Amino acid sequence: MRLNLAQWYAEMGQRLLNGQPLGFWQGVGYDFYQSFLDGARWKLYVQGLGTTLLITILALILGVVFGVVVAVVRTMHDQQRPGRRRNPVLGAVNTVFEAYTTIIRGTPMMVQLLIMGFVIFKTSRNTTMVAALSFGINSGAYVAEIIRGGLMSVDPGQMEAGRSLGLNYVKTMRFIVVPQAIKNILPALGNEFITLLKDTSIVTVIGGRDITKVAMLIQSKTYGGFMSLFGVAVVYLAMVMLFSWLMSRLERRLRQSDRRS
Amino acid sequence: MIDVHNLSKSFGDNLVLDGITTRIQKGEVVVIIGPSGSGKSTFLRCLNLLELPSGGSVLFDGTDITNPKTDINAIRRKMGMVFQHFNLFPNMTVERNITLAPVQTGLMKQHEADEKAMALLRRVGLADRADSYPSQLSGGQKQRIAIVRALCMDPEVLLFDEPTSALDPEMVGEVLDVMKDLARDGMTMVVVTHEMGFAREVGSRVLFMDGGKILEENEPQAFFANPREERTRSFLSKVL
Repeated sequence: MRLNLAQWYAEMGQRLLNGQPLGFWQGVGYDFYQSFLDGARWKLYVQGLGTTLLITILALILGVVFGVVVAVVRTMHDQQRPGRRRNPVLGAVNTVFEAYTTIIRGTPMMVQLLIMGFVIFKTSRNTTMVAALSFGINSGAYVAEIIRGGLMSVDPGQMEAGRSLGLNYVKTMRFIVVPQAIKNILPALGNEFITLLKDTSIVTVIGGRDITKVAMLIQSKTYGGFMSLFGVAVVYLAMVMLFSWLMSRLERRLRQSDRRS
Repeated sequence: MIDVHNLSKSFGDNLVLDGITTRIQKGEVVVIIGPSGSGKSTFLRCLNLLELPSGGSVLFDGTDITNPKTDINAIRRKMGMVFQHFNLFPNMTVERNITLAPVQTGLMKQHEADEKAMALLRRVGLADRADSYPSQLSGGQKQRIAIVRALCMDPEVLLFDEPTSALDPEMVGEVLDVMKDLARDGMTMVVVTHEMGFAREVGSRVLFMDGGKILEENEPQAFFANPREERTRSFLSKVL
């Protein structure tokens, strides 16, 4: 079967070289073969997809870690009691984190990526890791604000009730505030993850070989971007749809305590 | 049991408590009444340091709780609090709402806490709701659960912050009944409320607050029969 297809492809190529026009479906088939199968090009897409997923997952982990740390420090700072002496270390760290969020959210992702790739890590050839770090730092700032918003959205009475029972701050957060905050922030967090997944496509500007770059390379070889670019678009779309479906299932599970009667 | 001396609290320039001095004895039911904005709730919240006093001292069994070195969590385990808006934890079942604190503070093992929770739930007539979530309960049921939650810590004193103000009129009775029951058992209680009937029937002492001060205090019969202050008289004439 494969051999036949290859023969057919060679035949079609010959016809094109001879200036004979192809039929519509023949043209579609030829483009498809050329973009995905010729020279086992699909392996390039798979490799590219691997890079995309690797960058996304590493960045996601980094982003969540940065986000949680920043959000917790900033919330703790804001929840210090008026009247009591403020913790100076917390104040200093809070100022640094505030600057981090401001700078990261105030500059374009692409500029950050270019600075990381061509200034800070200009000698590094490992674009995947540079990209994962850049996207992680970027995502962290947004995740921090999402989590902070989620923690603040929980009724202050919940914290008071926990504390009035003699639970300390950390335990009240862990058992009472954070579980409620998670339910509130899950949609926003899912959204951030989707944005991150798609944004990794700009890693091409520092020479990363993600799935978008593969499509661009193949397009430049075949002089026809229809199949490769649409193909990649479909891959992104499928991943986002799968992820959205998983998130909606998770949300439904967490809504268990909202059911009535 | 609780000694309050010259307690003051201000939010910015707004002086909410202005030199409160009083003593709450073991077994007493102290009812605090007064117009809104008089500082009743703030006073109550200063007793377990949900509000940090600006001046003065609060001594619980001889320990100054306003001292930053005091382990406030240990003090709070002995002082239960019931809130106007219940503040049950919506992400947990009723049983877990009640047993979380005793287990997490190391007071009881999970099975001990479970048994105690069930016993208390039976006492307030809600044993069948142990596995419900707060969103499935009525206001009166929620508040009874909130009282059980505070009781499960075996507190020495219970603080009530307008426990019936957020309830439908029909449900006030069931919550007051639980509180009366506790009072009969000798529980020390400090109750901020607008329920004058409760104050008269159950209170061992009534404090009338206005403008951040305790204007008048007396045992309930005398308080309601012969209020001394003009301000008290005008307040009572409006609410009774």
